[in-house]
Amino acid sequence: MTPRDPAVVRPGAAAGAVSSLSRGTPATTRLLGAASAAQRSLGRLGLVALTFALVCGLVTHGYHLFQYPLYSTDEGIYIERAWAVIREDRLSPQTYFYDHAPGGWLQLAVWEFLLPRHFETFGNPVNSGRVLMLLVHLASVFFLFEIARKLSGGLLAPMIATFLFNFSPLAVYYQRMMLLDNLMVFWVLLSIYLLLLLRRRAVLFAGFWSGLAFGVSVVTKENAIFFAPTIFYLLYRRARGDPSRRFAITLWMFAAGAIISAYFLYATLKGELSPPQMDFSLTHQPQGHVSLLYELWYQVHRNQGTVFNHGSFLYAMWLPKDKYLLAGGTAAMLISLYLGWRNKKRNLGFLVAGTLALEIAFYLARGSVILDFYVIPLIPMFALCIGLVADRALKALPSPLARVAAVVVPALAAALLLSPTGSYLLTHDPQTGKLKPNDVYYLPLTYLQNEQIAWIRAHVPPTARIISDDDIWVALHEGSPSYTYDQSHFEAASDPAVRNKIFGGNWRNIDYIVLSNGMKHAMIMNNTGGQESYILDALNNHSTEVWHASRGKVSLAIYKVQK
Amino acid sequence: MHDLFYAALVFFSVLVTIQSAYTLYLTLYTWDRPPAEARAPEHFLPPRLSFTVMLPARHEEAVIATTIERVVRANYPAKLIQVLVVCSADDDGTIAKAQEKIQALRREGYGNVSVVVFNDKPINKPHGLNAALPSATNDVVTIFDAEDDIHPDIFNIVNTVMETEHVKVVQAGVQLMNFESTWYSALNVLEYFFWFKSRLHYHARKGAITLGGNTVFFGRSLLMSIGGWDETNLTEDADIGLRLSGTGEKIRVVYDDRYVTREETPPSLGQFIKQRTRWSQGFIQTMRKGTWKGLPTRRQRLLAFYTLSFPIFQALLGLYFPFSLVTMFSLKVPVQIALISYLPVVMLLAHFLISVVGLREFTAAHGLKATRADVIRLAFAWLPYQLVLAYAAARAVVRQARGINNWEKTAHVGAHRGPSSEPAEDLKEFVDDAA
Repeated sequence: MTPRDPAVVRPGAAAGAVSSLSRGTPATTRLLGAASAAQRSLGRLGLVALTFALVCGLVTHGYHLFQYPLYSTDEGIYIERAWAVIREDRLSPQTYFYDHAPGGWLQLAVWEFLLPRHFETFGNPVNSGRVLMLLVHLASVFFLFEIARKLSGGLLAPMIATFLFNFSPLAVYYQRMMLLDNLMVFWVLLSIYLLLLLRRRAVLFAGFWSGLAFGVSVVTKENAIFFAPTIFYLLYRRARGDPSRRFAITLWMFAAGAIISAYFLYATLKGELSPPQMDFSLTHQPQGHVSLLYELWYQVHRNQGTVFNHGSFLYAMWLPKDKYLLAGGTAAMLISLYLGWRNKKRNLGFLVAGTLALEIAFYLARGSVILDFYVIPLIPMFALCIGLVADRALKALPSPLARVAAVVVPALAAALLLSPTGSYLLTHDPQTGKLKPNDVYYLPLTYLQNEQIAWIRAHVPPTARIISDDDIWVALHEGSPSYTYDQSHFEAASDPAVRNKIFGGNWRNIDYIVLSNGMKHAMIMNNTGGQESYILDALNNHSTEVWHASRGKVSLAIYKVQK
Repeated sequence: MHDLFYAALVFFSVLVTIQSAYTLYLTLYTWDRPPAEARAPEHFLPPRLSFTVMLPARHEEAVIATTIERVVRANYPAKLIQVLVVCSADDDGTIAKAQEKIQALRREGYGNVSVVVFNDKPINKPHGLNAALPSATNDVVTIFDAEDDIHPDIFNIVNTVMETEHVKVVQAGVQLMNFESTWYSALNVLEYFFWFKSRLHYHARKGAITLGGNTVFFGRSLLMSIGGWDETNLTEDADIGLRLSGTGEKIRVVYDDRYVTREETPPSLGQFIKQRTRWSQGFIQTMRKGTWKGLPTRRQRLLAFYTLSFPIFQALLGLYFPFSLVTMFSLKVPVQIALISYLPVVMLLAHFLISVVGLREFTAAHGLKATRADVIRLAFAWLPYQLVLAYAAARAVVRQARGINNWEKTAHVGAHRGPSSEPAEDLKEFVDDAA
């Protein structure tokens, strides 16, 4: 064989092509050059900044954690399901109807299982979930810091992003709660972080682990799937030019797909993948058994108007808590999208941050059913956009102005913290008009629920048939004595196994109704098919209030049903 | 009783999953390392080392002349190359073809090729190599199989690596090429691709390597000092690799797509099964011989033991397959147990996906093209191929248990050399009397 033999030349040429790819095109080189600069070790200043961010996160989210906000129904539901995993070896104490993938409370169950006194380690069972949220928040701060640092190539963007992520009252309020969305954000940030890991770690297994993290994020909370386009694009950009790119992309898809498909496999093994007779009618629930595909179909077709409607959570909850983050985040998202789209190669960070924010904003704005805490994934993405845009703006300033900016930026942060209009740390008392700390650091609320539980323990026999909200369900079932016949009002109304078999749909079979804040309102709203009627009948016409406590807008009560 | 069954099911599923994940890691190991680590040097040092090339041949009339030709005309000074064609005395056909080629080369001025004939037993490759070793006179001894297409620069590469890295053993890449020949060719090609390009690097790095049977280079004095090859072993290459690892000798693996030695897949399923049976049985022999016990660290011993005992595991997997099929459709187990028992299936899918990508990598690296039909064929062949491997492994286990140790030779037709090569005269196999 001679050197001119094509069989010899071709392999060499192919290898040469690979070699030149690995060196990268000029644009890629610029990107990698920027990335490698950013991917240098933190350095002393970076370490100080990261430590500061973590300490801030620990203080803002850890202080007053068990007192505020009030234990919510959703926190109770997830603690309740984790309890069922550990105590009853099932995904829910009642019928699991695929309302959410179970990844989130399976993780919570592992956490509870590891704690020395399980659910009671930190007092109220919800507290143990909140401690997990604190740890998850700290990990998310780390990931957000590193993502912003790697995408911007400096420390300003991560400092601004984590500042907002830590101090925004909107963030503190929702991130303290034991919610699947907080866990999901953790996994999404981890997935992105793994793709941005140092170059010396080959992209191959980073792709695998990133895909695994992304898969877990989806089975933790399904709306993580909205982030898939950006994360996959980042993977593609990260792998481009790398000899292992095809394997890395395949492993990412395999890992994510394997985790997500396990959810479908579970439903298949249970015989609950499709509805009976393939009945996907939205006008009535198919009878026989629950179904994953039906539930997905149902969720996709639910509509509640857009987030911009008058009275929506945007106006009622989110803007009052932090209008600066939402307004600034929206502007930064648009700027990021513009910069990223204009030059995809040079402004990869902007494209990533902008599209991440856009994807979750689209999810919120698209007009399906939205709960107030669905804003959680938007917070880090807006914070990231603001950090990157501020960093770019300051880098664009001439050096004399940049020196001024070095003073102005911390001053702005301090003003935001101390100004009562932002309510980051201080706020005006609506009654007295005096300055006071924001409720998240000041107002105790959960003691009301603990007093409610204590009253039940002191006055209600364990054999009583109780209808309560989910937020105290585990406290009543886990403690001693255990209230085995306590049922959540939602299950007592919606689950035929509870409504018909346990209560027979008759108010006479109820002994006590334990009302949490807003539970009565929820029952009325949930009574479209009349399923809550027998409970409302007991409450309105056949019961007497035996305990009551309130503070501000929070009002709790216990009613004894008179027969 | 149910609990015991569930526990066994979970245990075996998790075990298979871990094993499968580990194999996947080894399969992709090289792509997780800096590319330069495996590549051949870009610039060659001037030739200094001299090479003795051993060409063990048995009924290789069809291909031996071409192989001699390729070695002699390599891009390396002929005076630094000695070629020994190693034949048993009864193989008149191969000896005649080799002599014919030697005469032709002599007329061109090449006098560095000779035939070494042995007439004692056993008639197998390691005995032939040992018989020829005293005739080797150069610094480095290497083996090529009779059907090998070597790269003309292979000696320059090894000369450069040995000189710059001060290593005495180099395993260079061997690659099956004819991925479209039979239904199982692509999968067989990929096995070589992943083994030489990836897995062997891991073994070399960890110091517990089963070497390949050809394109492997030894310092002659080192080879003499360990007494050559084990003639009773069906995979003498694996054995000698572990013996060298046991002495702490550094072994360098070079797999560069540009410089691989090209080979062909066995021409028929029967041939393929026999070849695979021999390899599996050889590994079991080496395991039982205990060479691996002489490795310095526990991690090395574990790696070697895992590699050598794999055929047994593979045979068990073959038995597990019908069992899992039956249980999948007939047994009602708790959902959690069922989910865990699906893990091996998930890993099987991972291996399949990696094979599809591997085919793309292989063809791209060698200037070939895998069509959609090739991928579809790969998909359909995937499971039967695994079952064939399991069958060959089980066959090896049975043969070993029954004390049948004869050498089942693989026939070669030159499918990797294209239409211009000499056609095979026959595909007959032989069974020697080495047992």
